[in-house]
Amino acid sequence: MFRNALGKTLRFLGYTVQYGCIAHCAFEYLGGIVVCSGPSMEPTIQSSDIVFSENLSRHFYSIRKGDIVIVKSPTDPKSNICKRVIGLEGDKVCTSNPSDFLKTHSFVPKGHVWLEGDNLRNSTDSRCYGPVPYGLIRGRICFKIWPLNDFGFLRASPNGHRFLDD
Amino acid sequence: MFRNALGKTLRFLGYTVQYGCIAHCAFEYLGGIVVCSGPSMEPTIQSSDIVFSENLSRHFYSIRKGDIVIVKSPTDPKSNICKRVIGLEGDKVCTSNPSDFLKTHSFVPKGHVWLEGDNLRNSTDSRCYGPVPYGLIRGRICFKNTESLMLQKAP
Repeated sequence: MFRNALGKTLRFLGYTVQYGCIAHCAFEYLGGIVVCSGPSMEPTIQSSDIVFSENLSRHFYSIRKGDIVIVKSPTDPKSNICKRVIGLEGDKVCTSNPSDFLKTHSFVPKGHVWLEGDNLRNSTDSRCYGPVPYGLIRGRICFKIWPLNDFGFLRASPNGHRFLDD
Repeated sequence: MFRNALGKTLRFLGYTVQYGCIAHCAFEYLGGIVVCSGPSMEPTIQSSDIVFSENLSRHFYSIRKGDIVIVKSPTDPKSNICKRVIGLEGDKVCTSNPSDFLKTHSFVPKGHVWLEGDNLRNSTDSRCYGPVPYGLIRGRICFKNTESLMLQKAP
C-alpha cells in the first residue's frame, strides 16, 4: 500500500517536472502573456495592461529600433522593465533631456541598446542608467490583449524626435 | 501505412521536444559541463579546461565575492565569458591599472558586479568595459576536473 502511494507520488512529480520544463521552454523560446505596470510607457501601454511578448526575436538577434522590449532590470536583477529601443549598437543617441540648453550625444557601445520609455517625463531609462547590454533583453512586445478597446498591434513611438538618423 | 509513419514521426518529435526541454531546464536551473578557452583566468583555469558550472546560485542571488562566474558577454551577446567576481554592488573597487601612478576608485552600482580575470595582464574585464549587470550571470564554476575551485583563492 505504501509502495503504491510512493509510486503514484513519484509519477505525479515526474509529470509535474516534465510539463513544468515544457512550459518554461515555451515561454523562453516562443512567447507569453505579460502584465505591465507603471507609467513609463504611457500612452502606448497603460498600467495593468496585458500584452503578448514574443521571445524569438532576441534569440535571432532581430530586435529593431522602435521595438518595445521586456528587459531584465540592470539595477534590480529580480524585476523586469518594459521600454522602447531608441538606439542599437553604434547608433548616435541624445543623452541630454529635452529641456537642457546644451544637447549632448553619445554612441551606443557594442553589444548594448539604448532604451527610453514613451512617457519621457516619468520614466527612468537609459538616460538615467546608461546603455543596457543586449543580453538582458527577455522578449519583444508585439500585441496588446487588454483592454479590449486598445486591442491590436502597438503604436509607433510618440517621440519620433528621439530617433536620430545617421 | 502513411498514417502509421506520420504517427510515429509525430511521436518521435514529441519525445524529442519533451526531453530537449527537460535537458534545457536541467542546465538552466541545475548545472552543466563547460569548456573554457582563453588565457584570462590563468593559472586557475587554463585554456581548454573542462569545468562544472552550477546554475542554482544565481537564481538564489547567492553569488559571493571571489566566485568564478560564467557571464553573457556585455560586448557580444552571442558569447560567454568566464571571470572572477571582485566586487558586488556597493563595494569599492580599484579602477586603475597597477602600473598607473594615480589610483582611482569607484563604487559598484546597484544590481551590478565587478569582474576581473586572474591573469590581470591578459584579460579584458570590468577594467575595460565597466561593471556588469547581475542579470547577465549564467552560472558559478565550482569544480575543475576533480579539484574543488572553492579551495583556490584569487592569486
